[in-house]
Amino acid sequence: MIAILARRDLASAFQTPLAWLLLAAMQATLAWIMLRVLDRFTGLEPLERSAGLNLELAHNVFGSASVLLLLAAPLLAARALSQERRDGTYAMLAAMPLSPTQLLLGKFLALALLLLALCAPPLLLCLSLIGAAPVDPGLFVAAALGLWLSGLLFAAVGLFAASLTAQPALAVVIAYGLLTLLSVVNRAEQIAAEQTSLLDWLAWNQHLFWFLSGVVRISDLVYFLLMTTMFLAFAHRRLANLYFR
Amino acid sequence: MEALLQVRGVARRFGAKQVLHGIDFSLRPGEVLGLLGPNGAGKTTCLQILAGTLAPSSGSVAIHGHDMVRAPRAAKRRLGYLPERPPIYPEMRVDDYLAHAAALHGLPTRDIAKAVQRVKRRCGLQQVGPRLLGKLSKGYRQRAGLAQALVHEPDLVILDEPTDGLDPVQIREVRMLIGDLGRSCGVIVSSHVLSEVQAVCNRVVILRDGRVLHSGPLGDSAPTRALRVRLRRPPAPPQIEGLPQVAAAVPDNTPGGGPGVFGIELAEGFGADQLAKALVGAGWGLLELTPARSDLERIFFESIGAEESGA
Repeated sequence: MIAILARRDLASAFQTPLAWLLLAAMQATLAWIMLRVLDRFTGLEPLERSAGLNLELAHNVFGSASVLLLLAAPLLAARALSQERRDGTYAMLAAMPLSPTQLLLGKFLALALLLLALCAPPLLLCLSLIGAAPVDPGLFVAAALGLWLSGLLFAAVGLFAASLTAQPALAVVIAYGLLTLLSVVNRAEQIAAEQTSLLDWLAWNQHLFWFLSGVVRISDLVYFLLMTTMFLAFAHRRLANLYFR
Repeated sequence: MEALLQVRGVARRFGAKQVLHGIDFSLRPGEVLGLLGPNGAGKTTCLQILAGTLAPSSGSVAIHGHDMVRAPRAAKRRLGYLPERPPIYPEMRVDDYLAHAAALHGLPTRDIAKAVQRVKRRCGLQQVGPRLLGKLSKGYRQRAGLAQALVHEPDLVILDEPTDGLDPVQIREVRMLIGDLGRSCGVIVSSHVLSEVQAVCNRVVILRDGRVLHSGPLGDSAPTRALRVRLRRPPAPPQIEGLPQVAAAVPDNTPGGGPGVFGIELAEGFGADQLAKALVGAGWGLLELTPARSDLERIFFESIGAEESGA
């Protein structure tokens, strides 16, 4: 059932211009950023370079890609859930022999696969340098993994926001609000000098940073897994409660 | 025969507003039940509870003995539901949409293609299989929504205003389809149109302000004593009242009436056949003789009237 739901959502994203537009926008923006990074490297002597090409590329290209995913994932999630509620198709699904868990996981699986496709442009762009420069594929694969995990977190937050309202636009705004909070929560450190390790831990960008540096740490994997599961659990609660609304 | 659907004391409140008050009824296979009531009577809420998309505040709904709250998936397995708005994905093709619905209803993959063909034939969708749902006319969308509810051949079909917004030809087709369904499974149709329910249902539940005003079979009540006649050469009303078969005759000036149309109350002990004979014998040129109100109209207005006089 989960696969059936996911297949429809995924097909729908590629049957409409949505997925293609996102892929094209991603490709164009990241290609521009990559060219700028490469531009800085051409003509410089090795001693004049402050950082390696691989790290520069990973931080700039994958870092920008993560911001693009942060913008795209809530839109996709609102489309997957809020829009179904607004257009009345949710009523049909609710009358079918499906549990809220299956429904939610079906939606999440489709988003996860779509985001996986969106992780391809930065990875392929960076790997296209193989043969022309000393590229470290392992670093880029780690960065792509971190990017995808961040995308999953954004999608889970998006689904939770979409479970709160049947208005897609409102769902997107709520999701952006939550994600902004999760992005700047560690900035409190700059205001208060006290220990802010928990707030620091809560911010997603701290964890993505390690992946972009080519370091896959269990603690970062656990962070993304925990936070994604938590927002999915919130969304599940909301969907189960829709029956009792 | 075991009841297909058993509804016991279903009540629902939204905040402080009580929308349904203790609804009770049951449905057997082969029955077409019309849920009738003015707009805002609680029909859609009632159907949402029956379809398992909304929980009742109290009371229970059971399909084939499976409780909707405790065992929702077992209860919904043999259920088909068409919500008020046709639930369609505009970017999907009709064939894919129906195959998707069939898969979600749990049909095995090998049976899906056959089920889609069958339901397309049944709902008159053969011509539009490869077309996008978003490009279809309202009538076809409604039929696609209906097909989605029927693709797995459910035992219980719940249709919320299935002919809303359709043209007369489409309405006739949907009515025939519902009649056809009524032979094999239980059907619940909601409507605020009396003629609709009269045409397709063999049982009726009349709702008003969330209460059941009337629940019973249609079509086997005693013949009405209020008739309506149209005469080619109408005499004065007292002349008609002079006939022994007639208790009272009044000219009918309502929009459907006009010159030569009278509402007639039959006298005790006489039937419509005797009235017809007398009217023809008097040489007034009998053109039409119909019940003043349809069976259902009588039930509907009597039950609403009864409630108003009781209030």
